[in-house]
Amino acid sequence: MNAMAAAVAILGVIPSALGEGLVCAHVIDGMSRNPEMYSKLRTTMILACALVETTAIYSLLVSLLILFVG
Amino acid sequence: MFDNFFSLDIPGEVISSLIVMIIIMILALIIGIQARRQDPLKKPKGLLLIAETGVKFFDDLTKDLIGNTLPNFGGFIMGTAVYLFIAFIFGIIGLPSPVTNMAIPLSLGLTTFLGIHLISAKFTRWAYFKRYVEPIPIFLPINLISMWAPLLSLTLRLFGNAIAGWTLMTIIEIALRNLSSMIFSFMPVVQDVNWNEIFILPIPKAVLSLYFDLFSALIQTFVFILLTTIFIGQEIPEDFSINTLERRT
Repeated sequence: MNAMAAAVAILGVIPSALGEGLVCAHVIDGMSRNPEMYSKLRTTMILACALVETTAIYSLLVSLLILFVG
Repeated sequence: MFDNFFSLDIPGEVISSLIVMIIIMILALIIGIQARRQDPLKKPKGLLLIAETGVKFFDDLTKDLIGNTLPNFGGFIMGTAVYLFIAFIFGIIGLPSPVTNMAIPLSLGLTTFLGIHLISAKFTRWAYFKRYVEPIPIFLPINLISMWAPLLSLTLRLFGNAIAGWTLMTIIEIALRNLSSMIFSFMPVVQDVNWNEIFILPIPKAVLSLYFDLFSALIQTFVFILLTTIFIGQEIPEDFSINTLERRT
């Protein structure tokens, strides 16, 4: 039962992965339109990816806690 | 007094954190002595060159993001970044990585959290307490809860990334050990040690370690210092910020 609960909890990474894909796609759009902004856009992209990743990490933590602690 | 000193139940991660601090202390001493002896007209080389590049990088980063109001902020950021990077890649040598214990990300998160509130109180004085009743006093409980959000997100981001890499590496290690002991099962067991487990493991683990230790460490360190700088830079009011200074001149 714990394994199933962990599997359901880890489903939260799906929208996070989609969101990260959207971030990268739009950054590449911006880079191809305006190549001089490359370095600034890269910094912002890493930051945005990290912020989007947060929800995925929360669900990962929840599922790890269910597996090993609960 | 020291009877129980050596039987203290200190987690291994805290001890490796202390080792990381000792390494950084020795590095800083060496760089400091080199910098004092260096002739300023000559080109720096070796360790001193790396240190100067690092100092310039972090100074430029903080100047870009929060301006000139906190002149020593680059040093704090560089110290945090060096500690965090060495702590992340400390797992490579086999000892437990400090970040896989909840206490160490929590300490780093608390540093940022205290920084946010102390800087805010320093610049806004008594108007600091106004942030809890904005926009209307009804919002007081919501603001009291949401003030913990940066601490939680910073802590859990570091801890989650470290523990995720560690878990994946451990799962792959167990799987490859079993695979190897199945393939090489014809080898004899010598003195209760299964020598047939170790044949496939080293190369895939080394390749994966490049991603899960080095690359992840770089990204997470960069994200942590960037978030710290932005969170703290937000608290500096408009009168002090770099944009108004530029507009005046």
